[in-house]
Formats: sequence, structure tokens, C-alpha cells
Amino acid sequence: MTRLISAELFKLRKRSMTWVLLFVLIGIIVVFYLVLLSIAHGTQGIGQGSEPTQNMLGLSMVTPFVLSLLFPFGIILSVIVITSSIGTEYNWRTIRTMLICSESRLKLLCAKLIAVGILMLIGMVIGIAIGFVMSVITTAIGGYAFDFRFATGEYLWNQFLQFWRSFYVLIPYVLLGFLFAVIGRSSIPGIVLGISEFLLESMITAFLYSAGDWIAEIPKYLLTVNVNAINALGKVPVKVPVVSASSQMPGLPHAFATVAVYNLVFIVLAIYIFRKRDVTS
Amino acid sequence: MTNQTTKELHSGSREGGDIVLRTISLSKRFGKLEAVKDLNLEVRRGEVFGFLGPNGAGKSTTVGMLLGLITPTAGNIELFDRKFENNQWASLRRVGAVIEEPAFYPYLSGRDNLEALARAIGGISRAKIAEVLELVGLQERAADQYGHYSLGMKQRLGIASTLLRDPELIILDEPTSGLDPAGMKEIRNLLPRLAQENRTVFLCSHLLHEVEQVCDRVAIIKQGVMLICAPIHELLAQGQMLQIKVDDPAQAVAALSALPWINSVKRENDYIIVDAPKDSASRVNKVLGEHNIFPSELTTHSVSLESVFLQLTGGDSSD
Repeated sequence: MTRLISAELFKLRKRSMTWVLLFVLIGIIVVFYLVLLSIAHGTQGIGQGSEPTQNMLGLSMVTPFVLSLLFPFGIILSVIVITSSIGTEYNWRTIRTMLICSESRLKLLCAKLIAVGILMLIGMVIGIAIGFVMSVITTAIGGYAFDFRFATGEYLWNQFLQFWRSFYVLIPYVLLGFLFAVIGRSSIPGIVLGISEFLLESMITAFLYSAGDWIAEIPKYLLTVNVNAINALGKVPVKVPVVSASSQMPGLPHAFATVAVYNLVFIVLAIYIFRKRDVTS
Repeated sequence: MTNQTTKELHSGSREGGDIVLRTISLSKRFGKLEAVKDLNLEVRRGEVFGFLGPNGAGKSTTVGMLLGLITPTAGNIELFDRKFENNQWASLRRVGAVIEEPAFYPYLSGRDNLEALARAIGGISRAKIAEVLELVGLQERAADQYGHYSLGMKQRLGIASTLLRDPELIILDEPTSGLDPAGMKEIRNLLPRLAQENRTVFLCSHLLHEVEQVCDRVAIIKQGVMLICAPIHELLAQGQMLQIKVDDPAQAVAALSALPWINSVKRENDYIIVDAPKDSASRVNKVLGEHNIFPSELTTHSVSLESVFLQLTGGDSSD
């Protein structure tokens, strides 16, 4: 298994797409910081709105801010990476070459998921590091004070938990994209359906809530509502497009369990289909 | 490389070698189409085994089943005396394969492609990668992107990939597909070298001439059914005939047709073609002499594998 993970990481490392997506992520973070800096400068003297924006640029807000950006953008980038990882194997017909070299189909799929998971974690760490750099730069440019008193043990522990929660909520979308890429034997269905689910579910949820009665209960079992409930723990300093009001959000144990069930269903289906299906030309 | 020298490289391997690959009533059905029916094959250690058939005969499906890419509908496969379905991955570690067109990552160099495979397989050194690249003559272009390789170079990289783990059985499905004559010759010259060191080569080829030159035994399938499986020399000997030139062919035909040990006699232009036991040339000559017919030419008329193939498959061209 470690051999297959090593091979998958080698392929990802050598692929220019991986680096392009990483630079896109870095670019998004840099642009957001610069936009916030210009907003903070633009609102100076006006009074209202200036302070929250300045706070967002502060070092204490780096982790929650970057992780909140990762939720929408990280999903898109991660889905592209994972679906390419399996889809291009079909497009280039390297799936046969890899299967002959692999210990089992199950291990090959797991190796791909683990390799992309490692890449996602590296991306998140790099994103936070870039956030820190940008925070330092914008703090210096804005002439704000450098204050590190926020970095208490409790703060660091909370950020650590938020890091893993952010990773956890990315997983179902990644697995969904992966499942569709396996079913469609191509990256395109994975990217289109994986990202569409993320974007469309919010709209569908709004309609279901407005329908009321028992229909309004359905969103509790949908993915994004539960993901939003977990994300809400992060005390995100910027508003994320959360459709449901906090009163309609499911409880945390329910949210974690529902996301886990989705993860399990997606991965079991992907493995079942991949193992059962003949690999023909 | 001549037919003789090619076969000398792995002489003695035709008979008595242990069985590395055996299929027992192997069948595969895709919906209503029965792609492979009751296929029984035995491939012996050290031989170059040719697997022939027209388009859609079931060759690639069979290879897919041998490599665990396609699940058989019925029947069994034994690789290295072990049931394949129970020891699939352990058995495949001893097999190298190129299926149809070689498939590698276009963004990686030739060397990096082998490195990725070596990591997946495990226990393969960089020196081994360099060695196989040299064996197939790709060391100078190893750093170039695979996407920029010619088809011949891609095929050679495919063969290099099969050699990474020193396989006991090499399965090559159409290794000369799409190659120009020079590329075909290159691969054809490489095949006997692969069969050295007691390796077994299972070759699906679309070139009958190539198979005739390098293979010890061949199996021919059509519409999923095996028509024949025999040593190539036996297959060709079956079609061996005597070609005789005489002044009076009609009289010669009449004289020979009466003999019970002659299967058939026919006229072809100025010659008569006699289907008789291959060691019967002197007897035929004697009979003709008794009838005051004295041949100006008496030669053995050999058939090519292509003729045998066309005869068996009802005129379909290979591949």
C-alpha cells in the first residue's frame, strides 16, 4: 500500500496541474487579503465597518479566515485533483498498466484517495502559511500593531480542531467527485457533478425550507446543511453562504454522523463499482 | 534475424517445459456476445507462444482475463501452477504485460514513467530502470516527455516496463501495432532476446510473418473458439506438399492419383502439386520413373502461416 501511495504522490508531484492548482489557491488567498486591506483602508475614518475588516487582517484570524476560504475554493480544487487522479487513468488508458502493477484494485483506489488527502492537507498548511505571510504584510502596510497575545494554548487547540473539521467537511465532496469519475471513467463527470452538487444543494435546500411541513425536515439529511453546521463551529470572521438559519441547523453529533454516512456510502459505492467492473479497451 | 537463428535462441523449449499458464474452459460473455468460449490453453516455460485470430476473435479479452482486468464468466486460469483467482496479485508480480498500445503518463518522461511503475511495484532500483532503458535502446531519450515519443519509442518503453520486475511470463498484445516496417523489425529483433533466460513470451500479434519467425507454438482462435493449438513446425508441415514440373502433367496426374498413399494431386500452371507424406519425394520420383515420366523439378512446396491461418479462419485477414 505504501508503495502505491508513493507512486501516486510521485505522479501528483510531477504533474503541472497540481502546481497550477496550488498557485491558484495561493492566488485566491493573496487576492482576498489585498481586497480586505483596500476595504480597511477605504473605510478608515468612516468609522463603522473599518474595525471588523482590520480584525480579519490580524494574525489571530489567519487560520479561521483561510480555512473559511478553503471551504468553497478548496472543494473545487480538491475535486479537480481527485477526479483527475482517477479520470485521466481512464483517458490515458494507464488504468490497465497501474492495475497490473497494483496489489489489488481496492489498494489502488485507497492509495489514490490517501495521496490526494495528503496533498489536500499540504495545500491547507501552505494556505495557512501564506495567510500568515499576507497577514504580516497587511498588518505592516496598514500600520496595525503586532500582537501575539492571542496565541494561547486554548486558541491553538481550537485552531487545530478547526483545521481537521475543515478537512473533514471537504471529504464528502471529494469522494462524491471521485465516485462520479469512477462511474463515468473520466474526470469530467466527477468535476461537473461533484461541484454541481455543492452549488445546487444550497439552492434546493432553500426551496425545501420554504415548503415547510415535513419537507422542511429533508435538508437535515442533506450534505451541505450538515457541513455548514460543522463549519459554524469555526467562528468564521467572514460570512460564508450558509443557507439555513442557525435555528434550522442540525445538531453537531447529527451533522458529524450524517457527513460520515455520506463519506461511507460514496467510498463503498466507488470501490464496489471499481472492483466489479471489467477494464476493457 | 533468420527464422532458424531466432528459434535457436530458445531451442529445446518446445517440449517438456513446465506449464506456466493454463486456461481451463475459459469463457467470457458480454451481454449476448460470447467473446471467448471454452478456451483451453497451455503455455510452457521458455517458449514464445503466438496467439492469433482475426479482429474480434477474443484475443484481447483473453489477455484481459489473464491479467485480471476482465472477470471470466466461466472457467479457470492457472498461472505458475496456482489458481489465478486465489493468487491474482502474487501471480501478477511474475508477469510483465503490454496490452495493445502501451499506455503511460504523457506528462512524465520515459524514465519517470518507469519510476512511477517501479514505485508501485516496489523493490526496483534506479539501476534496473537504466538497465531496461538501455536494453530497449531508449537511454538517450529517457528524459524526454512520453507524449513526444514516436509510436516505436512508446512500444519500446512498454516492453521496458514489462522487464522491470524480471518477469517469468511476458504478455505482449499487438506489440507492433501501428509501427512502420523499421519499428516492426526493431520489436521483432527484441522478442527473441526477451525469450532468453527461460522467460516465456505470450504474443498476440497482427503480423503472421512475425509470429512465424519468432514463435514456437501458436493457437488460432476465431469468434472466441480455439481452432488449433500446435507447434508452428507441425502446423507448417501439415501444409507441406511436393511441387513437380514434368513435360506431360496430365499423364503424371493420372499416374499419381491412383496411389493410395497420396492424398491429392492438382495442377497449378506448369506444375503439379502433390499432397503426400513429406518424406515421400523419392517414392513419388520412382513411381513417375516407372511411367517414363522424368521430372525436371521436384521440390517441397511449403505453406506459410498466413495460408494456414486464412484456411482455418475462412479467409479473414489477421487482426
